[in-house]
Amino acid sequence: MSEELQEGASEDVGHLPHHGGASDPGPPPELPRQQRGITPQMRGRYPGYDSLAQVEHWDERTREVVLDRVRKVPEIQLFDACEASTLRAFCDTLTGQDCEPRIPVLEMVDEKLSAGRLDGFRYAEMPADPETWRAVAAGLDGCARTEGYEDFAAASSDCRHEIVERFSKGELDWDLPVKKAWAVVTRMVLAAFYSHPWAWSEIGFGGPAYPRGFARLGAGQREEWESPPAFAVDPVEDVPTRGLE
Amino acid sequence: MKRRLTLALKGSLRPQENDSAFLLDPKRRGVPGRERMRRFAEDERVDMIVVGAGAGGATLAQRLARRGWRVLVLEAGPFWDPDEDWVSDEAGSHQLYWTEPRVIGGTDPVELGKNNCGRGVGGSMVHYAGFTPRFHPSDFEVRTRDGVAMDWPISYEELKPHYERLERELPVAGQWWPWGDPHGYPHGPHPVAGGALRVWEGARRAGIQMRVGPVGIANGAFGNRPHCIYRGFCLQGCKVNAKASPLVTHVPDALEHGVEIRADCMVTQIELDERGRCRGVTYVHDGQEHFQAAEAIAVAGYSIETPRLLLNSKSKRFPNGLANNNDMVGRGVMVQGAAQMAGRFEQEMRMYKAPPPEINSEQFYETDERRGFTRGFSIQTVGPLPIGWAEHVVADGHWGQALREYARDYNHWYTIGVLCELLPRPENRVTLADESDSQGTPVARLDYSQCENDRANIAYAKQTLQRILRAAEAQDELTIDRYAHLVGGCAMSSSPEDGVVDRDHRAWEVPNLFIADGSVMPTQGSANPALTIMALASRLAERLADKRIAA
Repeated sequence: MSEELQEGASEDVGHLPHHGGASDPGPPPELPRQQRGITPQMRGRYPGYDSLAQVEHWDERTREVVLDRVRKVPEIQLFDACEASTLRAFCDTLTGQDCEPRIPVLEMVDEKLSAGRLDGFRYAEMPADPETWRAVAAGLDGCARTEGYEDFAAASSDCRHEIVERFSKGELDWDLPVKKAWAVVTRMVLAAFYSHPWAWSEIGFGGPAYPRGFARLGAGQREEWESPPAFAVDPVEDVPTRGLE
Repeated sequence: MKRRLTLALKGSLRPQENDSAFLLDPKRRGVPGRERMRRFAEDERVDMIVVGAGAGGATLAQRLARRGWRVLVLEAGPFWDPDEDWVSDEAGSHQLYWTEPRVIGGTDPVELGKNNCGRGVGGSMVHYAGFTPRFHPSDFEVRTRDGVAMDWPISYEELKPHYERLERELPVAGQWWPWGDPHGYPHGPHPVAGGALRVWEGARRAGIQMRVGPVGIANGAFGNRPHCIYRGFCLQGCKVNAKASPLVTHVPDALEHGVEIRADCMVTQIELDERGRCRGVTYVHDGQEHFQAAEAIAVAGYSIETPRLLLNSKSKRFPNGLANNNDMVGRGVMVQGAAQMAGRFEQEMRMYKAPPPEINSEQFYETDERRGFTRGFSIQTVGPLPIGWAEHVVADGHWGQALREYARDYNHWYTIGVLCELLPRPENRVTLADESDSQGTPVARLDYSQCENDRANIAYAKQTLQRILRAAEAQDELTIDRYAHLVGGCAMSSSPEDGVVDRDHRAWEVPNLFIADGSVMPTQGSANPALTIMALASRLAERLADKRIAA
């Protein structure tokens, strides 16, 4: 494209996993610390942007639903203490939450399962969703014990990673179809994490937009209340990483 | 005369015989007139019971009521008031989907729920993206032209006047459409956001034509429906009333002409008389069973619930389910292969803005033997919100810090997808599962497996997406395999052994039972099905009211 890059353009993609970036266990060291509002682990690309600063522009019903998500963290009802500890460690590994502040993913999942708000389908070879979650907890603990740990939560970060990596590829030998179990649990984890306004601030999502709507739709354009990203990959490091020389 | 002149000067053509857009309240979103809606007594025999208030059911009810029929619609879900019930939020829109238990199987199972199943007045069109293309004339004769599947017992020409009428009622906005039967639209194209412009340029360089639209979103105020505000939450229910769904396009006019829509009423059984004709339905409201009598019944519960209701309506005459003595009920359910590919651009695209349906290509719609498979696909824009984006990233194999990194990069991405015409197969079928819902009614099981032609189509279509993104100079790509839409399951056919209903939607085996939803489609093309479902219901209503079919 010949057109000149506009404000907010970011030519480099070295931070993206396909290009060698975002290697586990840590986030890219260049990420700025959040300055306004809260993001998970206070990391983000938009340090000056807080999606919750816009609540007065949301319709009342949406405001209620979204703010309840932030203010009312439900108690765990469905899972016992052991399951909860394993599954919390799993949710943290899956979503890269390695310190506070954390989005309470497991609490949100537990609340949905306890209330019976399921997603409208079940794979024929799978049990009901709550049973799948319990089976995943047992399976994760079993894998960790094979590696010499008491359970999944007690395992080292490297060990947890290794197990989740095999889970994601369907390479574990459990009593239930592993790839389908992965689909069931990731679906619920992602729906919880990325429904949270802290995550919206982290990624620079405009959030609820009724009744205000959006007016600036062009490439590189922002509404006046949206923020520019503040993150640039250092090309001195990035170019050799990507083998561009 | 003066009024007519003013309306003519105000812009687009006012649709004939449908005042819905003018009956709505410009300040409130809910359907006015619900409090004075006609109520039929429980012991009153109505002319027609329609089961389901979605694209098919609501259109049929509105049309029949205009012609003087006494119509009762029984809808399993709520009668939505968008101001009160809907939110500008992904996770908070869970209630819009059919989330009752269902079982999925086969080698390539189809996820249901938010992906393709609606609930409540307006049906799945409440949360469809908004694309409203017509089918191509070729879709109605794929057996003759391409040697696959089955020809429809009706032709494109028979649906064409209904397409045109509905395009004025929704109304549809878009550029002149060069594919299929070339045609224009009553409203001009919407503005296109940065990401779609970039992809459009990529397509142009790759030798692929794209067009803006067609979408069921008024471009400009339409009656008392306001202009779109480009907020991008089309899949969460339009709180603006800008996007067309039967709730705003047909229900207001239906109520005005004496239709009763009884919401939160789940029909569990169609009852027969001793002559083998339907006499009414049993339905459950607030845990209580009720019966309502009718001269005729039209089922419009879509491709899962329509077969389920027939299969659950067992009797001495129909031990395997109503109208199922030929074992065709539930067969031939279709979904479209709907892989999506996202491209990363140096500029921020912020793809959450503007309605996800922006531009579309049907250049690959028809069979081209050089591609190595039969039939084709369309290419459309999609604009995943954060949860949808995270699902896309995880589907490409990233989790943990990698997921977070791609998610933080959200604003630099834009996403396009395909709709591949997957072929109908008899073994892709709705049956009854071993488990029951909270009312004790057996739930549906959908088995789905692809054939070789399907896999070849999807693989080629994904390569085409990649060609476009690379020509647009995308810096990185992420891919997700998925399905979209649902049709088939109670196909219309030319002979009684090949399908469930005849060319007039009448069950081959039951004279006063009609099916008026997407399940009657023998094939699906690679167009989004909403407009065609409405057009089919519109044609059925016309034929019933003209007494070209006796009910």
